[in-house]
Amino acid sequence: MIVDCRLASIQYRVSSFMYKTGQYISGESIIHRLDPRVKIGFAVVLSILILKGEFLTAVTTSAFLVALIPISRLTFRHMAKALRPMLFFFVLLFLLHLLFTDGTPIPPFPSWRVTVTYEGLFRGAITTWQFILLILSASILTMTTSPTELVNGIERLLRPLKTLRIPSHDIAIMISIALRFLPTFLEEIDRVKEAQMARGADFKTGSFIRRVKSSVSLIMPLVLCSLRRADELATAMEARGYRRGSRTYMRELSMVRADYVAVAVMVSMTGFHFF
Amino acid sequence: MIRVEGLTFQYDMKDEPVLNQISVDIEPGAYIGVIGPNGCGKTTLVRHLDGLLLPTTGDVWVERMNTKDPDDVQKIRQMVGMVFQNPDNQIVGMSVEEDVSFGPGNLRLPPLEIRKRVDESLEVVGIKKYAKRPPHSLSNGEKQLVAIAGVLAMAPKHIVLDEPTAYLDPSGQKRVLDVINRLNKQGITIIHVTHDMDEVARADEIFVMNEGRIVLKEKPAEVFLRVEWLKELGLGIPKVTELMWQLRKMGRHVQTDIFTIEDACLELSTLIKARKPSGLSIDDC
Repeated sequence: MIVDCRLASIQYRVSSFMYKTGQYISGESIIHRLDPRVKIGFAVVLSILILKGEFLTAVTTSAFLVALIPISRLTFRHMAKALRPMLFFFVLLFLLHLLFTDGTPIPPFPSWRVTVTYEGLFRGAITTWQFILLILSASILTMTTSPTELVNGIERLLRPLKTLRIPSHDIAIMISIALRFLPTFLEEIDRVKEAQMARGADFKTGSFIRRVKSSVSLIMPLVLCSLRRADELATAMEARGYRRGSRTYMRELSMVRADYVAVAVMVSMTGFHFF
Repeated sequence: MIRVEGLTFQYDMKDEPVLNQISVDIEPGAYIGVIGPNGCGKTTLVRHLDGLLLPTTGDVWVERMNTKDPDDVQKIRQMVGMVFQNPDNQIVGMSVEEDVSFGPGNLRLPPLEIRKRVDESLEVVGIKKYAKRPPHSLSNGEKQLVAIAGVLAMAPKHIVLDEPTAYLDPSGQKRVLDVINRLNKQGITIIHVTHDMDEVARADEIFVMNEGRIVLKEKPAEVFLRVEWLKELGLGIPKVTELMWQLRKMGRHVQTDIFTIEDACLELSTLIKARKPSGLSIDDC
């Protein structure tokens, strides 16, 4: 019974963590089915357009992203959940721009000893909006693309770099293992924490210094465990024939008509804003 | 056919050898159990069978290929599959089917062939319904089945399992052992390292190891007759065999060469039938 509760709580914590970071939500929308390379390309292009920071591009990219949400069969609640962990950062970003930008003061504020300017208000709003859009476009990408496909897409996009001796296969395997072991690692944190608490470790009370010191008893076993894990994993991979150089994949990517349409939209959007 | 010839292995030249002059042949299709106390070199020996470790002196041959030959290593790793103790630390993929496709991908098979092998392997071990699941959502027993499927997808002739049930609960253990037995019946050689004597009671042959040598190489019936000697080595005997020995000690006429629960049931029922009904009392036991 106790074990059940513990497992349930671990699973809950793991899933809520993954969810917040924009976890894949399986679906059959047209966006889900696009080639991951196209989606990655699109996210990069959108990010560049967003960072251009002009009013016109801000309006068009916002409209585009907002339109993408229902097309991907996602809801605005999904998006709010993806943005929520960043809320503090957004507020900070906005305030910094608001308070530290020179320009024309807004009348009622100088009496508070801080100068708030029209320029600051404008820049703060624009910059915060830019970051919100960046997170949105990244979230739409990761929510509509399974990690497997994402890694597959990255690997395929990096392939031309092989001529520069950048090992795209190894990079893909690295990302894939990192994602595979993230939940395992989180479970392990809980396990070590509980084991140390059972031995009288206290992670919650005391001064800051004390808590930092007591966290050593958490970090050391975790590091040692991970090193052993890495060692065993390397042996297992070797036993399964892993070696440097090329390998093949179960899923080969191929572009269909929808992908070419998406590329055309991407190119025309870029053209519109740069020329 | 795997042939080990005069295999000696030292991690460090200054240390005692971990393996000392081991020579053994493993026939194709056999089920070999490898037992021995901790630190006797079981793991070190089996890691030589697919070239994860190379002999300090001596040779290991797999289907006439020497594991020392770098050109043949990939072929040998295809032929000899390895399943390790910790189910978590041998799964690479973000989903079950992706993990199973890792081996064939390393062999550079075409995508359609990989797809076919992944589906077949998952079918054989009976976890096809989990194909899309992330590995961390499975039980340890299921993870170990994923690991076996991953090995099967490489179409091996021999499978080495290094204490595959050490992390499993009884139901997971049973599922894994069933799959191992089934694979052996299909003609795959099984080399099964274990601490649990019950697991290798059905083996064709058992290698008992101690201090870097194979000290006994016999059928299970012969091995488990040497109860006192096994206990001296710190090894047990199957639970039902232990039961028969205890009964014999109490003066009952039972066979002691019994290693499986089915045989034990038969033996006990004949014992009970042979008794006069009136003679049975609690004091007798």
